[in-house]
Amino acid sequence: MEELIISIDNLKEIARELFNNDCRVIGTTAENKFKVIDDPEQLILNPNSVPTGSSFKEFFFPKTEPLFFYKQNNSSIDLIDPVIDKSRIVVIGAKPCDAAALPIISKVFNWDYKDDLFNTRNDNSLIIGMSCHYNDEFCFCNDVGGSPENRKGSDVFLKPLADNYFKAASVTPKGEAFIKEYQKYFEKDLGKNKPLVRKEENPNHFDYDKVKTWLDNNFENKFWDTAGEMCLGCAQCAFVCPTCHCFDIVDEQNGSCAGRRAKNWDACQFSLFTKHASGHNPRDNQEKRYRQRISHKFKYYNDKFDEILCTGCGRCSRGCPVSLDILQIVEEINSLSQKSNAI
Amino acid sequence: MDNIYKPELVEIKEIIDETPDIKTFRLQFKNPELQNSFKFKAGQFAEYSVFGEGECTFCIASSPTRPEYLECSFKLAGKTTSAMTKLNVGDTMGLRGPYGNSFPLEQMKGKNIVFIAGGIGLAPVRCIIWNVLDLRDQFKDITIICGARTVADLVYKNEIEDWKSMSGIKTVVSVDPGGETTDWKGEIGFVPTIVEKVSPSANNTIAILCGPPLMIRYTFPILEKFGFKEENIITTLENRMKCGLGKCGRCNIGSVYVCKDGPIFSYKELKTLPQEY
Repeated sequence: MEELIISIDNLKEIARELFNNDCRVIGTTAENKFKVIDDPEQLILNPNSVPTGSSFKEFFFPKTEPLFFYKQNNSSIDLIDPVIDKSRIVVIGAKPCDAAALPIISKVFNWDYKDDLFNTRNDNSLIIGMSCHYNDEFCFCNDVGGSPENRKGSDVFLKPLADNYFKAASVTPKGEAFIKEYQKYFEKDLGKNKPLVRKEENPNHFDYDKVKTWLDNNFENKFWDTAGEMCLGCAQCAFVCPTCHCFDIVDEQNGSCAGRRAKNWDACQFSLFTKHASGHNPRDNQEKRYRQRISHKFKYYNDKFDEILCTGCGRCSRGCPVSLDILQIVEEINSLSQKSNAI
Repeated sequence: MDNIYKPELVEIKEIIDETPDIKTFRLQFKNPELQNSFKFKAGQFAEYSVFGEGECTFCIASSPTRPEYLECSFKLAGKTTSAMTKLNVGDTMGLRGPYGNSFPLEQMKGKNIVFIAGGIGLAPVRCIIWNVLDLRDQFKDITIICGARTVADLVYKNEIEDWKSMSGIKTVVSVDPGGETTDWKGEIGFVPTIVEKVSPSANNTIAILCGPPLMIRYTFPILEKFGFKEENIITTLENRMKCGLGKCGRCNIGSVYVCKDGPIFSYKELKTLPQEY
């Protein structure tokens, strides 16, 4: 297939066309935050930037959304479906650790019962991923099956070249159709723009298979007594995470006879998350709740859906108010697994 | 859009005050076609809701052999159940379901069955009891052991009397020590103690039990002592749930989602799960 390149200016032109065609264009701006781009000039694609504070999952799985509305008239009740925005969502410049999260969480929203709220947005989306040249002490994508060049979840993938150009390749049929749709903005790669290279390869931190085996056998282990003891239970980790997907269902009354039932982000680190109406709570302390978080990400989700519920973006650790570092925790598990092998 | 979170509307046809804090609602779908097409199996649960207050999870307490209505029994505990206690006959609620797996009815056929329940744990057991009784000739000897803290806390009192009067069923009812009244004629003791006293034979027998976590924990070893194989001891778990659809993330025990892989588990299956329920 012909190799293609595209300039940042032409990417902005595509963004402008999409915007004019009522698409929701999601990208990052100077403040390094995913937002709906209404002015394509603001769009910035910087492979050297730190992952944004929050992932872009909220555009697919919003912080709060109505499941339905209800209206009471005398003795009858009407239930009204929400109107889901079916406009096309195009994410421009997703890091591999963000793009990979969508196919991962799509599995939980689609086993047996299908969540059409998530699916409508996901089906109408197109993800333009971009290789990542950033690495800090919190990054570990390559330890969880990813890499700075990983195309999982992307429909089109960009690699930065010199002079604000990107090498562009389609990853999925959807991406191929997209490039065709906007082919006038792409140029043939004549090799004039040299690829930008990453300063250094990302280090490896742990062996996932060993961590998984340890988790398989150590639900009861004194490691858990201290692993999460710093945790405040504030759940910022879950809210910034691209793969955390737990939610609550809450009725919000608006006046005396109408309201909505909403799906709101929730998190396993909250003490009320699993508390029964009887008062019994299977995860009655933060240590148990932290074990749940680590085990869900690195064991349970993999058992159930054959995916690690973590893309190694490091957001949870970067933002943690008590500097609880998930990478350090998993590295400790890795070293425990080596010790238990030695015995 | 296929909205998996939107309930169907049901009407409260009858309210039975079981105890000072437990009620049973008899419900019918507002849409008569749904009432005819709604199918469920004993042991499955549903999400019941009061619009403006919330949703909560209870087993379906009536038997699938009696499809003209659905029943749920609930204890006043939180926001939604408080709102439910204020509802009247004729009021409308929401219902989503049925969800989850079911009691192994086919595996139970041709066998003796021992039903053991404590408190409101009798609700899911009552569902399978009537299911079995409505197909009586397909099962062998039936024993029902149920208990509550006090005489006033016993649920389904009239039905217990029905079971006592039916031939071929051994029904033993107990209350916790101190919970008896002066005219109490049943047993006095905690459910596990009563199970030990009744000493059911494990031969060709399946035990179905539900009740408070402590009751279940102390009954398992007694059944094992009588020779029950762990795969022939069946219980139902009720972890906190919101969606009932395997999505919201709170009912898991290890890698198992109670709402989809359960709520019915054999003791054999429970032994493979972490102690987090």
